[in-house]
Amino acid sequence: MTTKMAPARKIKPHKIKKTTYEIIEPWLFLLPALCVFAVFLYYPLGKTIYLSTFLTDKFGNAKIYRGFQNYLDILNGKYSREFWNSMWVTVRFVFFVATGGLVMGLCTSLITVNKFPGKAFASAIFAMPIAIASSAAAMSFKMILHKSIGLLNYILGTSINWLSDPVWTFPIICILSIWLASGINFIFIGAGLRNVPDELYESASIDGAGYWRKLWNITLPCISPTLFFQIIINIINAFQSFNLVKLLTMGGPQEKTNLIVYSIYLDAFRNFRFGTAAARSIVLFLIIMVITLIQFRAEKRSVHY
Amino acid sequence: MKKLFALVIALIMVLSLGSALADDKTTVVFWYSLEGVNAETIKGIVDEFNASQDKIFVDAQYQGAYDDAINKLKAAGMGQLPCDIVHSYEIGTRFIIDSGWIVPIQEYIDKDGWDTSVIEPNLLAYYTVDGRINSMPFNCSTPLMYYNKTAFDEAGITEIPTTVDGILEIAEKLTTYNPDGSIDRYGFLFSNYGWFFEQWTGKMGREYVNNGNGRESYATQVMFGEDGAALDIFKMWEKIAACPYTAYIERGGTSAARAAFVAGKTAIFLASTANLAGVLSNVKGAFEVGTAFFPYVNPEDKGGVSTGGGTLWMIKSGDEAKEAASFEFIKFCVNPENQAKWSANTGYFPINVKAQETETFKANLEKYPQFQVALDQLHASGPEYVGSLLSVFPEVRQYVEDVTEKVFQGQLTAEQGVEELVGLANDAIETYNLVNY
Repeated sequence: MTTKMAPARKIKPHKIKKTTYEIIEPWLFLLPALCVFAVFLYYPLGKTIYLSTFLTDKFGNAKIYRGFQNYLDILNGKYSREFWNSMWVTVRFVFFVATGGLVMGLCTSLITVNKFPGKAFASAIFAMPIAIASSAAAMSFKMILHKSIGLLNYILGTSINWLSDPVWTFPIICILSIWLASGINFIFIGAGLRNVPDELYESASIDGAGYWRKLWNITLPCISPTLFFQIIINIINAFQSFNLVKLLTMGGPQEKTNLIVYSIYLDAFRNFRFGTAAARSIVLFLIIMVITLIQFRAEKRSVHY
Repeated sequence: MKKLFALVIALIMVLSLGSALADDKTTVVFWYSLEGVNAETIKGIVDEFNASQDKIFVDAQYQGAYDDAINKLKAAGMGQLPCDIVHSYEIGTRFIIDSGWIVPIQEYIDKDGWDTSVIEPNLLAYYTVDGRINSMPFNCSTPLMYYNKTAFDEAGITEIPTTVDGILEIAEKLTTYNPDGSIDRYGFLFSNYGWFFEQWTGKMGREYVNNGNGRESYATQVMFGEDGAALDIFKMWEKIAACPYTAYIERGGTSAARAAFVAGKTAIFLASTANLAGVLSNVKGAFEVGTAFFPYVNPEDKGGVSTGGGTLWMIKSGDEAKEAASFEFIKFCVNPENQAKWSANTGYFPINVKAQETETFKANLEKYPQFQVALDQLHASGPEYVGSLLSVFPEVRQYVEDVTEKVFQGQLTAEQGVEELVGLANDAIETYNLVNY
């Protein structure tokens, strides 16, 4: 990108004095967007930072100033065991769900990229998770995963309590989340695949490349912008996952599914400790920001536009 | 001509507006928090009230579960609250009184001369705080033991257990197996529900929090650690965990256990009386359903159950006409006939003792004798086991469930569980009191 821009810089621009209106004009165009951001992003962010330094009363009003004490409490104090546990749970969850959703989306879209009988039906099935409300799905799965009357145990001939078993609950929540995330991955990656120029495949075929060779050397590089976008979206969505845990496990068993967003919810809306909840949110915000920055650095190396 | 026509129309509109204002009804917004059959029944009562007179219009709005409704109230904050009557659960009592949003219903009871002696004595005791009734009990329940009577008969069990140990002893006999050797029907499926912990503490006759169970003044620490209640309960959980004929089924409610019971996959489960009507209609006579008192932890326990459920709160609006209208509606909700109907349709108790004399109630009892057990249990429990008041009750209840799970699954021993639970609960109380009192 920079190399293309370079020649343009060599031409010395003719300096024109801007009128006041011309200086203001771009800001006017930005104003509506800035207003929306200010109301829904910057103000809440500022307020969250402010609240994170206070103890709040039962109405959520800031009451007692605590400085960094709330942060110390969660990072290395009375809430730290629970906080780091939920951090660890979240990191593993994000890893599995983001990669799982991506891989599943990639596989399903590769299956449906070629014509075959029943393609429309298969596509509909693969895209369906988008249309499924995760709360409704959770309620259905609550029964499917039931210990004694559940469909899953009936099919497998087992008697596992999928939603309270310390070994199985976490994988089950991951699998459900991957399934719910796969729909949007399928749509985006599928769109990416359709934009790969056919000539590349043709010439590769003439050169004698097989399916896997073409996949590795043509398809993946060509859809790498889409994959990159999907990775970021998957990671952010996974970090913000909440519904399944709220409805199916309530963070249990033994806090093994206590995702960070759920723990923030509990702290804020069950315990009414908005101060520590705000501090948790800020820590989460910083973590997501760092991860996103790292991803953008990685993008320069591995994504081809 | 056209102008004249327009003028006439305008005049008619102005006049009709005036007359509409003149007989404008007082609108009372009512937030309720029940679902399914129970919600239908509430709506029925509201419709009947609206049809019965032309001064007051009650606008009933569903606001999600109790927790959601209370959160919405909190979010609405100190300004003009968007409703006049709120339906909330028993463990929200301390918090709502502290909030200052409400008019203690006692004020209107006194003004109206309404006779409070018709309220069930146990309920009256629970909801009398600081010497007055703050909210009107509406739907009230206690926990029951539901059992599959047909399975009991087949296993030749005639004596219904009164303790959890007793249940564990007969669990083996009640268990049936699939051809492949796996368990088809458990003797007992356990729900890890914080409400039961409170009930077991009460059944031991011990206190949940200090300062007279939070009734003399606000609680400053939990008592179940010091007086051994938590240890006894956790030891019991360890015993349950060791028993192969029972299983842990869910936390935070009883719906999964109920589903299993109805499907004949467990012979016993514990749940609120409010499930009775639903269970009976779901079982549809596939087997005979029995009910019994909620089991004790220790055989020597002598305490009683306290009441769960919900009450109606009058929100302070400053508008006397509205508050008076709200009180009219609340009175209507708890009159004998409506309480009898309510009880018959849901399984909750009638809070009005006179409801027991109505034909509706008697007919229901004849049809479902299981309901008598629920009433007997309530009457067998003295008003001294009224249960505690605690501002951070919802939070502590969650900790109870968290730690119970860890004890049950062997991550913590009973002693470690008590230590962790007491630490979490006391810290929550301390932080709340520090900021709010």
